[in-house]
Amino acid sequence: MKAIWALAAKDLRLLLRDRADLFWILGFPIVMALFFGSISGGGGPRAALPIAVVDQDASPMTQSIVDRLRSSEGLKVREAPLDSARNLVRRGDLVAYVLFPAGTGASFGFGGDSTQSVEIGVDPRRSAEREYLRGFVTAALFQSIQGSFGASGGGRDQVRASLDQLRENPDIAPEARERQGTMLRALESFMVALDSTRTDTATGGTDGEAAGPNIRVVEVTEDDSGPRSAYEVTFPSSIAWALIGVCMSFAVSLVQERMTGTFLRLRLAPIGRATILAGKGLACALAAAVAVTIVLCLGVFVFGVRISNPPLLAAAIGASAFCFTGVMMVVSVLGKTPPSVAGAGWGIMLLLSMTGGGMIPLVAMPAWMQAVSNYSLVRHAIVAVEGAVWRGFGWGEALPPLGILIGAGILGMAVGSRLLRTDRA
Amino acid sequence: MSLLRVRDLRKTFGDRVAVDGVSFQVARGESFGLLGPNGAGKTTTIGMIVGALRPDAGTVTVDGEDDPTRPSLRLRIGVAPQALALYQDLTAEENLAFFGSLYGLSGATLQERVRWALAFAGLEERRRDLARTFSGGMQRRLNLVCGLLHDPPLILLDEPTVGVDPQSRNAIFESIEALKRDGRTIVYTTHYMEEAERLCDRVAIMDHGRILALDTVAGLVRDHGGKPRVVIEFPERPATLAKAGGTWEDGQWRVETDRPEEVLLQAVNAGQPLRHVAIDRANLEAVFLHLTGRSLRD
Repeated sequence: MKAIWALAAKDLRLLLRDRADLFWILGFPIVMALFFGSISGGGGPRAALPIAVVDQDASPMTQSIVDRLRSSEGLKVREAPLDSARNLVRRGDLVAYVLFPAGTGASFGFGGDSTQSVEIGVDPRRSAEREYLRGFVTAALFQSIQGSFGASGGGRDQVRASLDQLRENPDIAPEARERQGTMLRALESFMVALDSTRTDTATGGTDGEAAGPNIRVVEVTEDDSGPRSAYEVTFPSSIAWALIGVCMSFAVSLVQERMTGTFLRLRLAPIGRATILAGKGLACALAAAVAVTIVLCLGVFVFGVRISNPPLLAAAIGASAFCFTGVMMVVSVLGKTPPSVAGAGWGIMLLLSMTGGGMIPLVAMPAWMQAVSNYSLVRHAIVAVEGAVWRGFGWGEALPPLGILIGAGILGMAVGSRLLRTDRA
Repeated sequence: MSLLRVRDLRKTFGDRVAVDGVSFQVARGESFGLLGPNGAGKTTTIGMIVGALRPDAGTVTVDGEDDPTRPSLRLRIGVAPQALALYQDLTAEENLAFFGSLYGLSGATLQERVRWALAFAGLEERRRDLARTFSGGMQRRLNLVCGLLHDPPLILLDEPTVGVDPQSRNAIFESIEALKRDGRTIVYTTHYMEEAERLCDRVAIMDHGRILALDTVAGLVRDHGGKPRVVIEFPERPATLAKAGGTWEDGQWRVETDRPEEVLLQAVNAGQPLRHVAIDRANLEAVFLHLTGRSLRD
């Protein structure tokens, strides 16, 4: 074991003295995370906010509001039951839900329940999206209310219905009947005048807030999952580059050792071949784990990336490092010289990264590409880390990617060490 | 008693026979040379002795054990490979400490051996410099002592002076002579006959994977080097030597003889002043030429 540690310490020391390798292992992944994070909007509002609408009232008024929300370019609206909508927000699949409780439509009319509120359920960490969404809902509400006062909006019908009700109800006192009748007839005359003078109000707005209906914002906080910002997607994706950087650095160093004679000297020492490979593998795995940890720490402490399950994250980092150590051993025997190993290795790594989410985040991939990405080890490493960062994985959900990573690591080590058993040093 | 015994070693790479039935023994404390041109099979032979290569046939026995890959046996063998087996981005001290740790050295013992190795290689003042900053000769010296840290009784040096300047070469010779005085058993491969003549008690001459001759340097020269050659230059060709043996070329009389003193006496009695006199004794180059029909450097 002392020999394995000595071998690993030697390789790590050599790695620390190679600035170019350090850039590819640490600098490049961070650059990738920041670049994709910033072009994806960072922590700011998205171009189209995905929301759910829960219309428990199902009145013409609320349908009108829903239609207006649906027609907005800034929103991507789907209808859902309340429980489902809440879960989608908790999981981070949606930014918010908008609830119209039963009776909401009537409350906008006359004699309705003025305490009835429209409810916006939103993740409190998405403050920018919340205010943006409140603006959309408020605008839709007022446009619908305003529309209802027009001839086509049903406001005058409602007034006439109220006058009929007033005349036919024997329980109303004559003084009250007279007073309310006078007000309703005046209102009907006002609506007729309004219809004749109104301009297009379709784009009109959000003024009149002082007389508007209640909008209540509630926080949906029970479930922490769902990416809070683009960085929570890009930092886990960028670990692919850290893993690839370490993998390639060690693969090239292994073929360099075979070429320069140091590998021969190692083989002539009183240690087995397994010890030599274990030392190299330990150094590679440690370097990969440390590099991934450093990249994620930057995301956590500087860019607000949250870790929802630290033990799972540790397991994901360990499994990913183990997997790419196995990949390193296979890559190291793909050529007989450093340039040939580097060429073949980077070709394979770019393919794994492209299909696995190292370049395009997994969540942004089309369905067919997501299917292809199942064959990329990079994908499983990213999913395992995302599971611990924002996907809210339990151990059961994390098992498949972790299992694939560990299995691939074992296979890579077996194949690589077998191919390294050449007769000539 | 032999420390190293090699018997009928054979190794092929594809169709090429690299080593073809090589046998020799090396006694304790002996310095044994494998002399031959590049491609003669010297490095392949060393590779099989240390267990880096698996022989197709034949056996290697070191100190009574016949499996050189066993860790216990490797502790008794020190190797300086022909290729520089150093980590260029580690310092001299770090290289030595790392290789020493692979041989089980640690703590004060390791530090002591590292200090000894640095002093032996004359690198004490450069111990904290990266190997990449060393001259070729300094790297060769470091390469040599990296194989000596564990104080092995059997030392195999594969072309340890390749590509070094004369000053460093001399320093390496002195190091090897010190190891000889210390009673180490040395197997030394080279294609420089001067090195074999200076450092080796016995020499095996190799070519095309086979040992052509094996003896002391004097024995090889005696048996295969031919007679000493006397070269004498006169102002004019003396008439008294007209019927003497030898050849005349550019005013020089050249005679191969077992008795050069008699030839000298004939020349002195020829009645002419001697402009130039030389007696060329045969050497390993002549031995190789005699055995193979070509020069060592061909």
